[in-house]
Amino acid sequence: MSASAVFILDVKGKPLISRNYKGDVAMSEIEHFMPLLMQREEEGALAPLMSHGRVHFLWIKYSNLYLVATTLKNANASLVYSFLYKTVEVFSEYFKELEEESIRDNFVIVYELLDELMDFGFPQTTDSKILQEYITQQGNKLETGKSRVPPTVTNAVSWRSEGIKYKKNEVFIDVIESVNLLVSPHTSAPPLPCDGVLFELTGRSKNKSVELEDVKFHQCVRLSRFDNDRTISFIPPDGDFELMSYRLSTQVKPLIWIESVIEKFSHSRVEIMVKAKGQFKKQSVANSVEISVPVPSDADSPRFKTSVGSAKYMPEKNIVIWSIKSFPGGKEYLMRAHFGLPSVEKEEVEGRPPIGVKFEIPYFTVSGIQVRYMKIIEKSGYQALPWVRYITQSGDYQLRTS
Amino acid sequence: MPYLGSEDEVKDLKKALCNPHIQADRLRYRNVIQRVIRHMTQGSDMSGVFMEMVKASATIDIVQKKLVYLYMCTYAPLKPDLALLAINTLCKDCSDPNPMVRGLALRSMCSLRLPGVQEYIQQPVLNGLHDKASYVRRVAVLGCAKMHTLHGDSEVDGALVNELYSLLRDQDPIVVVNCLRSLEEILKQEGGVVINKPIAHHLLNRMSKLDQWGQAEVLNFLLRYQPRSEEELFDILNLLDSFLKSSSPGVVMGATKLFLILAKNFPHVQTDVLMQVKGTLLAACSSESRELCFAALCHVRQVLHSLPGHFSSHYKKFFCSYSEPHYIKLQKVEVLCELVNDENVQQVLEELRGYCTDVSADFAQAAIFAIGSIARTYTDQCVQILTELLGLRQEHITTVVVQTFRDLVWLCPQCTEAVCQALPGCEESIQDSEGKQALIWLLGVHGKRIPNAPYVLEDFVENVKSETFPAVKMELLTALLRLFLSRPAECQDMLGRLLYYCIEEEKDMAVRDRGLFYYRLLLAGIDEVKRILRSPQSDPSLRLLEDQAERPVNSWASDFNTLVPVYGKARWATISKCQGVERHGPELPNTASFATSGPLIPEENKERVQELPDSRALMLVPNHQLTAECFEKTWLSLKVAHQQVFPWQGAVHPDTLQMALQVVNIQTIAMNRAGAQPWKAYLSAQDDTGCLFLTELLLEPENLQMQISVKQNKARTETLNSFISVLETVIGTIGDIKS
Repeated sequence: MSASAVFILDVKGKPLISRNYKGDVAMSEIEHFMPLLMQREEEGALAPLMSHGRVHFLWIKYSNLYLVATTLKNANASLVYSFLYKTVEVFSEYFKELEEESIRDNFVIVYELLDELMDFGFPQTTDSKILQEYITQQGNKLETGKSRVPPTVTNAVSWRSEGIKYKKNEVFIDVIESVNLLVSPHTSAPPLPCDGVLFELTGRSKNKSVELEDVKFHQCVRLSRFDNDRTISFIPPDGDFELMSYRLSTQVKPLIWIESVIEKFSHSRVEIMVKAKGQFKKQSVANSVEISVPVPSDADSPRFKTSVGSAKYMPEKNIVIWSIKSFPGGKEYLMRAHFGLPSVEKEEVEGRPPIGVKFEIPYFTVSGIQVRYMKIIEKSGYQALPWVRYITQSGDYQLRTS
Repeated sequence: MPYLGSEDEVKDLKKALCNPHIQADRLRYRNVIQRVIRHMTQGSDMSGVFMEMVKASATIDIVQKKLVYLYMCTYAPLKPDLALLAINTLCKDCSDPNPMVRGLALRSMCSLRLPGVQEYIQQPVLNGLHDKASYVRRVAVLGCAKMHTLHGDSEVDGALVNELYSLLRDQDPIVVVNCLRSLEEILKQEGGVVINKPIAHHLLNRMSKLDQWGQAEVLNFLLRYQPRSEEELFDILNLLDSFLKSSSPGVVMGATKLFLILAKNFPHVQTDVLMQVKGTLLAACSSESRELCFAALCHVRQVLHSLPGHFSSHYKKFFCSYSEPHYIKLQKVEVLCELVNDENVQQVLEELRGYCTDVSADFAQAAIFAIGSIARTYTDQCVQILTELLGLRQEHITTVVVQTFRDLVWLCPQCTEAVCQALPGCEESIQDSEGKQALIWLLGVHGKRIPNAPYVLEDFVENVKSETFPAVKMELLTALLRLFLSRPAECQDMLGRLLYYCIEEEKDMAVRDRGLFYYRLLLAGIDEVKRILRSPQSDPSLRLLEDQAERPVNSWASDFNTLVPVYGKARWATISKCQGVERHGPELPNTASFATSGPLIPEENKERVQELPDSRALMLVPNHQLTAECFEKTWLSLKVAHQQVFPWQGAVHPDTLQMALQVVNIQTIAMNRAGAQPWKAYLSAQDDTGCLFLTELLLEPENLQMQISVKQNKARTETLNSFISVLETVIGTIGDIKS
């Protein structure tokens, strides 16, 4: 890949900050970006890749920002997008939230980071842990005397600096499985679980010999060791990281099943009845369950009745959120909602957004994966405490409404 | 963007920067500098304080240094003479004890983009290559490429290239990758960095140490390496196997491409690799990043072209979810219709039917077209769904359904009966030109089976005056005449009215002419009309042709993981063509005058002629002029670089040849009249690097061949070969036309 320049634009397409890496594309080319985007959008042919003359624009949208890379070469698209997302990730770690304001407020650091992330159009140091060692938020404090060279800048293991020491050493392993679901109303007629249900798990864990699809490891894992005896051995980076990811395409009962009846009486009212059922083990409990039910955008005067939890109308998103703090397996709960509709109907047709569910079930994995043992080998021999935690959470969990 | 009150602001800042009190207080000093940078970022011109900023670079505060250097890189092209003053500070910083400062200074110096700066940066860059800090070496290595670009790509410094090749063995992984990148830039003219066996093996061994960008880059460079033996090839593939499972999609794609290219003679290995990356591609297709997901979907479609059924069991992954952007939904629908098979057809059609009533009309129409293309294999089910959709009486749905029916009837005649039964009633909800044309065509061709066909057409005839689209009127004429042949009694009267209208009242010439044509045809007698108008009503063989599109993996392997599949092949072709035309800008008038002079070169050859210069990196300068004297002098002073004979038959038409040569920017200096024996011509051309090509054409009729001798003022075999092939194409084409 090679990007000629990288731009960060606000939502109107005005450049907030830019860095010209190669100098082979005029910086004014970016002025064509927004008109082109609008034109494509109108034609219904919007895509994250556009061209104007000889220049290709590859762009992503993040909150209220556009990040655009320009290039003249027939570059590798997925790598450029990965780089832009990496940039977003690095910025987000610096400013917590990446948006127009934070770019404006931190333009010095943004320049510094852009300088280190890429040189002459080629990605250089993109690991935010390492960057944070020599580009600091406290850049405003004056450093007197000779500044220290961060060891990682010259380190052979690019993901961990040498000699990191803490008072208390702990290793946490979180096994997080996230459950995706997409069901159509037609298939739900007989509420047989998983018939016509798309089901997928993605997660992170340390494991031994489980049949998993598409297993991927962090760069730090010694793959040869894994191939030999299925042990995952690694020098961990400092801080959070994804050790391993896997996928299961098993047909499992949807963990939380929703039945809904949405009755719309034009010009007068909408009546919604939602029934949620926990279809997991009785011992487990789903926490912070949030069920979002779509309502027409012109609905008014909401009234709710729930058997458990509370319902809240969010007019800005046109949904009702029904939240249940704890939802034990095997239980069934009900919510009824009533909305008024104006007598004058508005003209445009509305889409049919799906019902979304968010939840978290601790001490439970769908795959049944387990960490058998964890051993920490440290030369100096000081103690480190291992912790293991299991969570199943909702991923893209949607049930279409009819 | 002009910034309000920017002049006052510049004055203010200038004053502040000069103020010794502020200079003494580091925090205040840095704040002023930050203000300058802020204004620069907002787009106001801050070049006025250049001198003051250069002074501010002499500081031990590294952040302040960064800001000042950033400022200098931005405004140096505007103030070249002042920027040279800054070089001194930069040079000093290049030998600072702190490697961060050394690296920063070197990077900034190389990014100055000033004419004449290279003599100053050469030494620091060379020193940087041997710096003990890898941070500085990384910068220095890329600095070499920057220096070369500044130089105007002219000469290649052999010593530097050797130095870089030896740095490929550096300890630091980023230095290694930067070396490759830098060499690639410097050796662009010679075809890029050479990957021989030792380098390839060295890189392969270092792969696991690199970060994802480096891995992707190296995988791309390895594409050039040609393993010596089958054994070596499979060793390499085994080594790279783990990268097919990398967590970075870029690396996986890169590895896949390398596998596909290296194993081009082993189709089973290719299929195997595509099986292995199936999971990764699928995961990428449901990635949280929409753009990555889009790129992955485009590649899935590419794979499906060669391996239909590859993703069939995972069809549910390609179901659209409500919040996805349009471009992803459209790609998914395309994928769905390509992976349909006996097992999943029911579910896929069910899903697609759901999309047909989507609020977005574009998406709904795309889904209907998708059902239409599935209908070529699963006709009955699809026709039933489409017929049901007509019942919704939605304008945007009906028009697309009717268009789909028209195409379907043409390809699958067995569904004609069902389509004919579905049609009555549609005419009320079709308003656009495309839909009306499709409906009228169906009524005309298959009107025999549709009881109320004449009455529907009659409505159209009644309202023909208010019809806005000429294409619809043309279609109406043809359809009505066709229907008249099968149902004369019901159509005769209105046919007369329509013809009368078209001939007497219609203002559109094409429609009028068509009307007159049919009128005269009718005068020739009904048998004659039948003979001419009774064309076939379907052509199932067309379908067979379309189905053969299943392409071998090797036909797209080289485009894999580039922008080509993401744009789509057709769109990429137009884009690269546009870019070609833009570069040839000034020659356009030539082409225009050529085009009006008639079909001298057949269409496909014309394209070949114009594309050739692009593909071989040879660019002949348009409007290049050389006087005859000058030509003669140069001609005599040079040796013949290349001599060749082309087959040639018959006499020459000098004008034709001259004009054809002009199209490819070859000027004719002198030429014999037609028929002279022996016939001779002298040509000259110049490419964008200033290299002259002088050519003599010699035709001796008894030999039936044309001898060409080319002389070149700079010895470059590569461009010479390109030039010869351009010439060969032109002469070949002219020869073809006559024979």
